[in-house]
Amino acid sequence: MRNWKLITMPFDKENPITVQVLGICSCLAVTAQLKPALVMAVSVTVVVALANLIISIMRKSIPPRIRIIVQLVVVSTLVVLVDLFLKAFVYDVSKQLSVFVGLIITNCIVMGRLEAFAMTNPPLPSLCDGIGNGLGYGIILVALGTVRELFGSGTLLGYPVMEKIGAYNIGYENNGLMIMPPMALILVGLIIWLQRSRKG
Amino acid sequence: MKQFSNRYMLLYSLALVAVSAVVLSVTAVTLKPREDLNRQIEQQQMILKTIGLDCAKSETPQAYERHIAEAEHNGKTYYRYDCDERQGIILPLHGTGLWGPIWGYLALDGNGKVVGAVFDHKGETPGLGGEIATDKFAQRFVGKSMGEHPIYLTKNADKDNPYQVDAISGGTMTSNGVTQMLEEGYDDYKKIREDATR
Repeated sequence: MRNWKLITMPFDKENPITVQVLGICSCLAVTAQLKPALVMAVSVTVVVALANLIISIMRKSIPPRIRIIVQLVVVSTLVVLVDLFLKAFVYDVSKQLSVFVGLIITNCIVMGRLEAFAMTNPPLPSLCDGIGNGLGYGIILVALGTVRELFGSGTLLGYPVMEKIGAYNIGYENNGLMIMPPMALILVGLIIWLQRSRKG
Repeated sequence: MKQFSNRYMLLYSLALVAVSAVVLSVTAVTLKPREDLNRQIEQQQMILKTIGLDCAKSETPQAYERHIAEAEHNGKTYYRYDCDERQGIILPLHGTGLWGPIWGYLALDGNGKVVGAVFDHKGETPGLGGEIATDKFAQRFVGKSMGEHPIYLTKNADKDNPYQVDAISGGTMTSNGVTQMLEEGYDDYKKIREDATR
């Protein structure tokens, strides 16, 4: 029960992006289109979950003074592994993500969860916490990716939605600002606003 | 809080790094052949695409074997195609975009007219410079010419000008990279042609 809560809390009340305001950098960079946003969400979830699990297993043996370095080594090892697997098994997707996979290492959510949760909690709850936070991050990424690709390029996952429904014929135009990184920030701001106002 | 000696910390970090290194090298070496094969097939797919053949991953090596021949000029590789009575050369292009390498292939007929093009990149911004990898962008090259002058990217390109292609809005640096890459490709192409007619 408690573990289930650890998974679902980050979707809304403890959302890494809109509440903890972590991982903003990558959410600006990969959300111009939906597909990279999706794969990034999955990759981050895998990395946070496994890093949380491993660090949690090791937590009693890690000397506090070098814990950040230890965490970094574990995280970067996992990220390189993910990158290698993507290249070997889903080559197309790995090309879509290119530099962003490497940037997972510096994603504040990963380090944040390791410091805040995995260092002081047993393996199973840590794994759940990692999955939850990865998915919480993913939800926002997918939401941004959908809005930005649809209104910025008129497509979804590359499928020309706007063209198919005939929007261009009645004078509709794509919004160039949507594909610029600042728009992601504005959209995140709007989501935060919505979320806070709903809770009052 | 438990106290750890310096000696423990040193050994701990050494052990950790050693384990990580072993895990990574073993994985990298095991997966390398798969990755190389993926890369090779991808390259063949790109080359076939320039002459209008869209092959699935499994059919690619046979189709490549049948239609494409590799050739060399001054130590640089280029390709000759022969498919449905159409013959010509495929020019490989290499350059730099905004964030990293970009590359492409340009299939030309006997007169230097572009039959098909395909571009790709390592890490251009998705939605901006990354658009060079789309079919939409590659289609802009079809019918243009490398005959007398390299093709270049520009704003509001003239449809009737065989050397102008529309650049990507928001992807100026990448577009400039493509133009430069085409210039270099043109030089190679000119030399290949001169030697062929000599």
